[in-house]
Amino acid sequence: MANLNIVSICGSLRKGSFNAMVQRLLPSLAPDGMTIKPAPSFAEFPLYNADIQNSTGFPAPVNTLADAIRAADGVIFCSPEYNFSIPGGLKNAIDWVSRLQNQPFAGKPVALQSASAGPVGGARVQYDLRRAMMFLDAFTLNKPEIFIGNSASKFDEKTGELKDETTRGLIKQQLTAFAGLIARVAAKS
Amino acid sequence: MTDRQLDVLVICGSLRKGSYNAALARTLPALAPAGIKLRDAPPFERFPIYNFDIQHATGFPAEVNTWADAIRSADGLIIVSPEYNWSIPGGLKNAIDWVSRMKEQPFKDKPVALQSAAGGILGGSRMQYHLRQSLTSVDVILFGRPEVIVTFAAQKFDEKTLELKDQTAIDMIKLQLAAFEKFIRRVSAKE
Repeated sequence: MANLNIVSICGSLRKGSFNAMVQRLLPSLAPDGMTIKPAPSFAEFPLYNADIQNSTGFPAPVNTLADAIRAADGVIFCSPEYNFSIPGGLKNAIDWVSRLQNQPFAGKPVALQSASAGPVGGARVQYDLRRAMMFLDAFTLNKPEIFIGNSASKFDEKTGELKDETTRGLIKQQLTAFAGLIARVAAKS
Repeated sequence: MTDRQLDVLVICGSLRKGSYNAALARTLPALAPAGIKLRDAPPFERFPIYNFDIQHATGFPAEVNTWADAIRSADGLIIVSPEYNWSIPGGLKNAIDWVSRMKEQPFKDKPVALQSAAGGILGGSRMQYHLRQSLTSVDVILFGRPEVIVTFAAQKFDEKTLELKDQTAIDMIKLQLAAFEKFIRRVSAKE
């Protein structure tokens, strides 16, 4: 398999986030040849306003994130669900980069993961992200889906270690399937 | 018995000055029934991106409290918003995410009506349905119909003044506002 460079984007900014724990775990579960690194932060993005874009251009952190996405072979979102949908901050980041020329998600393979304290595991954030990604012409991986419910019982809150072997196995399967999707949809050179 | 005038807060999901949705929001006072007085919500433009660690360390930012207080004190809300990438603008969603974490969560039991304008044929309707989904999470009382979905906005607002010129849209807004007044009176806590 060719070497694949993947960036992971965490939808939560809090340090103790379960989704950040998932994100940190990914490199250890990736198949051979797949490198997964965290994307640059969107924490300092202003809220999207076309007037900012038109007067002073895209803020530097927006370009930095967009460049990292463009340079990657694929993007993995690890995001909580806020109020039955996408966290506003993450959606704001997507809204910003969606306005760029050479829109970074176009043609980009994308995989989704979510963890939550409750039983549903963030299903609604994933389906809303799928819709936004479809509009942006990404290739979103179908299956397997990763919904990590009841996170508090599956992670060691101090070390961030995922203790649940079923979930670890599922993430490995997803990453392997993601490599397959990337191979299938990559532009032929 | 004469009903008191209802205080309804208008929240615009776009921050740009030339926004069709901001223009739509500006048309509302002239189209509202006598029983409703409209006022603009304070801006959410300066809210930081939601981070529990901020909330935990320094509490809710002042602007977030101001916005929440405005919502709490209103009899109802009208959210007028564009659609970004087939969904809710991140900035608006970020504002909802912030106040959703508050004690005395301001949206709870608040009557809410939705409006959107967009350049295309769907008029921002996908944003409205996602907003319905999110607002269910914060326990609002959602107004159903009539919906205000202003399609092909460039043809319906004056290019220079941004005044809404389309009579069909104007009539639909009047119908919605009149129905929303009745809806608020019906679902509000009885005094």
